[in-house]
Parts: sequence; structure tokens; C-alpha cells
Amino acid sequence: MSANLLLGLSPILIVSLGALLLMMAEALSKLRNEARESPSSSLAMGSAVVLASGGVASLALWLQGPDNLMEARAALAPWLLIDRFSLFFFVILTLGAFLTVLLAGGYLPEHKLDRGEFYPLVLLSTAGAMALAAAGDLLTMFIGLEVMSLGVYAMVAFRRGSPRSVEAAMKYFLLGSFAAALLLYGGALLYGATGKTDFSSISFQLAHTGYANPTNLQQLAWENSTPLMVIGLILVVIGLAFKISAVPFHMWTPDAYEGAPTPATTFMAGAVKAGAFAMMIRVLMMAFGDVRSASWGSGWPPVLAALAVATMTVGNLIAGRQESVKRMLAYSSITHAGYMLVGVVAMAGTARAEANGAVLFYTLIYTISTVGAFGALILCGSRGAEAVSYEDLAGLGKRNPAVALALSLFIFSLAGIPPTAGFFAKLYLFKAAVSGDYIVLTVIALINTVIGAYYYLRVLVFMYFREPLPGAPIAKPMKSGHVAIALVFAALLVLALGILPSKTLQAALSSTISG
Amino acid sequence: MVATYAPLLLMFALAGLVVMGFFVAGHFLGPKNPSPAKLMPFESGNESPGARKIRMSVKFYLTAILFVVFDIEAVFLYVWAVRFRALGWVGMVSMVGFLAVLVVGLVYALRKGALEWEK
Repeated sequence: MSANLLLGLSPILIVSLGALLLMMAEALSKLRNEARESPSSSLAMGSAVVLASGGVASLALWLQGPDNLMEARAALAPWLLIDRFSLFFFVILTLGAFLTVLLAGGYLPEHKLDRGEFYPLVLLSTAGAMALAAAGDLLTMFIGLEVMSLGVYAMVAFRRGSPRSVEAAMKYFLLGSFAAALLLYGGALLYGATGKTDFSSISFQLAHTGYANPTNLQQLAWENSTPLMVIGLILVVIGLAFKISAVPFHMWTPDAYEGAPTPATTFMAGAVKAGAFAMMIRVLMMAFGDVRSASWGSGWPPVLAALAVATMTVGNLIAGRQESVKRMLAYSSITHAGYMLVGVVAMAGTARAEANGAVLFYTLIYTISTVGAFGALILCGSRGAEAVSYEDLAGLGKRNPAVALALSLFIFSLAGIPPTAGFFAKLYLFKAAVSGDYIVLTVIALINTVIGAYYYLRVLVFMYFREPLPGAPIAKPMKSGHVAIALVFAALLVLALGILPSKTLQAALSSTISG
Repeated sequence: MVATYAPLLLMFALAGLVVMGFFVAGHFLGPKNPSPAKLMPFESGNESPGARKIRMSVKFYLTAILFVVFDIEAVFLYVWAVRFRALGWVGMVSMVGFLAVLVVGLVYALRKGALEWEK
């Protein structure tokens, strides 16, 4: 019993215990002389090791297969569901956080933000995101969401002397707590309507109340609780849409992404979004996956499709008008949330398994590519001269070909140009949407991909075909082993998954939710 | 559902009406002889010390946050103590784990100087 418990929990346990150990190590170390020795150098490597072992543990559990995990599952259900779906997301989350801490290891000392608490915050936030991805109950969902978010609020405010950063954190905190309150209220209404907090029981209630064999009393109970259910569902979806920054709940995103130190931005665009997506899929598929709620005529798919269209289009149109690359990447992350929402909508249709695999694959590729793009942007700037605008990148192809190449690779992947992984991610996603008969939605997504190519390629134009304006301050690329390792690792993944996607896609396809 | 919650709504409406009624009645019935002293903000009879936008030291917030953390700890401890026998070893182990995490937090706060008032 308890061995199974530990086995199932091991990925989350490794990450959270690692965070506590690193906290202790940092607080107790007597050798620290902050002027000479930087806490980042040791902590970044330490937390990278912790996250890598968390990822390996998740991978090992995933390879064990669903049958061998039954007992570990049973020990934790329904609070945390350790199925292949959550394990796949564990791998995405630990990978995203792994790259983030490596980037932070280079960024924080360079920009005089070298304080050790960043790393435990990333680790604890990741543990929260993992709990969120695995939650099978409204309560664990809320706890996971809050653990994840609290760490991120602090990370956004990490540059505490800068009014910009503090404003971003304040905005994110206020809107984030508002979203959490909506989510909590939605959960309370769902509990009021069904008397249950775990997703499978809620789904059971939905499917059976006055439906299969309606007596008058049951019918009455159903009719009375339907509005509660609907409002509850809407509130929960809004709460999660805030975290994935879907339009119209995206207002905080550009400011928070721009004001935060870039590694924190990376974490928000990668791991936080992936965690919230996992939760959204699980709520919709497990609790509201019944015939009535998941049908186009009477359920959530049209609402989500409208969100997807708005998110893709608005994100794209505003991204094209940005003068700051960091802000452009923020809007681009909004757009990508829109594409992923298309996949979530497709999961309600006939091609459910295919769409599930496509969304998981897309989330993995998106996380690596966006983390890589922000990482390359980190590498483009140095102390006092962070590369933020397109102008800062002018002539980078000549000044520093390696950095320019890395940035181009990730930009290609985000734009969906072969041979990078982003191409296959988009291909499978749109294919799944087409086989689910969501033709119009797919066409809109395709048009948006084409629009997106404009602002992605603009980065390349500036790097390779423009010279810096005479007399303009030039952002000098920094030197950092940590960042270089992270970028090489991410670049290899992007290329490998772009050339040989089939194995990983198979893995994503078999990572279904088992209720 | 409406029938169940109607009395509650009615109560809210009544409460609102009564409060509003008192204010309206006071406004129309009460005698008014304003003087500068009467128009000053009332602060328990003291003279008001100045603007309300004063900066507080962050130490107060730090202390408050630490207090909340260990306050919550006490809340959990009481529940556990009441059901100590029924919860058995599972409860024991969980509680020790919980306390261990809090001790880590306390040690961290101590080492980082969160509890030193003056440096």
C-alpha cells in the first residue's frame, strides 16, 4: 500500500523534496560570500539535477505502463490520478522547468539578480503544476493551481527594485487571484449541484441524474441543478483560461511576461501553461465528457471553439504590431494556446484519441520551442543591455552566428516550418481536427499560421538582413555555460523530434486519460 | 431551489431596507449645526495625525506572514490531537512530515534574517 503510494507520488515527491533540500543547503551554507561566490552556480545545477531525476522517474513510470500502475493509481485516486496522461505532462513540466533553471543559472548572475530563492520557487511551482496536471478532484485541482501560481507571482516580482517588474507581478497577482476565486466558486457550485468533488463522480451524476431512467423526482432534481452545473463549468473554464491566457482573459499576459525576468517568463509560457492545459483537458474530458455536455449542440465545444478562434486571431494580430521581441513572444504564446484549444475542441469529436495525442505532442513541442526562443533571447543580451526590441537583434547573424542560428531554429519551430518539430506538431494537430470534422476551425487555424509567419520571419530579417543603426546601443551577447547547455539540449530536441517524430507521437497517442 | 433560498433573499432585502431607512430618516429628521470641529475626521477624540499614505516597514508584513503560517500549523495540530488515536500511524507520519516541512521553512526564515528586527 504505502510502497505503491510512494511509487505513484515519486515524481512529485522528488521535485518537492529536492526543493526543500536546496532551500536548506542555500540557507545553511556558511561558505557563502555573496560578493565572490554566486548562489546560482551551484543551485542551478542542483535544481537541474532534481528536475531531471523527476523527469526520469515520470518517464520510468510511464514505461511501466498503465497495467503495472494500477495499484499505485488506486492508492492515490481520486485525489491524484497517476495515469499515462499525467505522466506525459510530468515529463513536459519537468523538462520545461529543467530548461528554465539552466537559463536562470546564466541570466540571474548576469543581471545582478543573483538570489538563491529563485530555484526553490521554480521547483515548488513545478511540483504544484504536476499536482495540477494529475488532479482528479476539485480540491487537489485548486491546491495544485495555487501552489503553482504563488511561486510564479514571486518569480515575476523577482526584480524587486524595478517598478516595471513589481507592476507586472501586482497585475498578475490580482488577476490570478481573481481567476482562482472564480475557479473556486465554480467548484463550489459543481459540488452543490452534484454533491461530489471528484471528476468521475461528477461525470457519473451528470450522466445519470434523471437521464437514463428518469422518474419525476430525478427529472426535477436534474432540471434544478442544470443551471448550477452550467455556471460551475463556465467558472471553472474561465479560471483555467486565465492561466493559459486565452483571449479574452489574456490582458495580463504581455505585461507580466515583459516585466518578469526572462527565465520567469519562460516558466510561465512553458510549464504553467502546460499544467493549466492538462487540467482543462481533464476537467472537460472526465467531468464533462458525457454525451450531452461534450456534443456540439448542447455542450461546451462551441464555447471553447469561439475561445480558440478569438485567441488565435487576436494573439496573432497584436503580435504582428509589437516592437519588442519579448512582447511578440508573449503574444505568440497566446496564439499557441489558441491552436492547442483547437485540439481540445477536437477531443470532443469523433477523433478523440487522435486529438488527445496531437494536443499532448503539441504541448511538448511548444514548451521546448518557446523556452528555447526565450533562452536564445536571454543569450542575445548582457548586463544592462537586454535584447528586447527587433533593433537589438539587427546584425546578430554577423556578430554572433551561433546565437542567431539558435534563435532562428526555435523561431522556425514556433512558426511551424520543417524540418523543426513545430511543423509536425501543427500537422498532427490540424490533421486530428480535420478527422474530427472541424474543417472551419482548421481553416481558421491555418490562416493564422500563415499570418504568424510574418512576425516570426521578421526576427530573421532583422538578424540576417539588417545592420544596426549607426550610434544605436547594441545588445552584446552574453557568455554562459548554463544557457548554452540549455539551448543545445532544446535545439537537439527540436531537431530530433522534427526528424523522427513518430516514436514520441506514438507515446503521446497512448497517453490517454484513464478514468 | 428558488423556494429554498427565497427567505434568505428576503432577509437580505429587509436588512438592506432597514439600513437605508435609518440613513434616510437621519438625513431628513436630524438637526444640522455644522462647525469646523464637527467636520473633522473622527479618530477616537485625537487630532488626526496626517495623510493616510504612510509607508510601513516590510518587517511587519514578514512577521504577519510568519504568524499566519504557524497559526495554520496550530489549527492542523488541534484537529490531529483530537483524532490522535483514530488516525494512528498514518496520521502520525503525515503530521511529522507536515511539521518537518514547516521546520525547514522556519530554519530558512531564521537563516535569512527574517526574525531579526534590527540589523
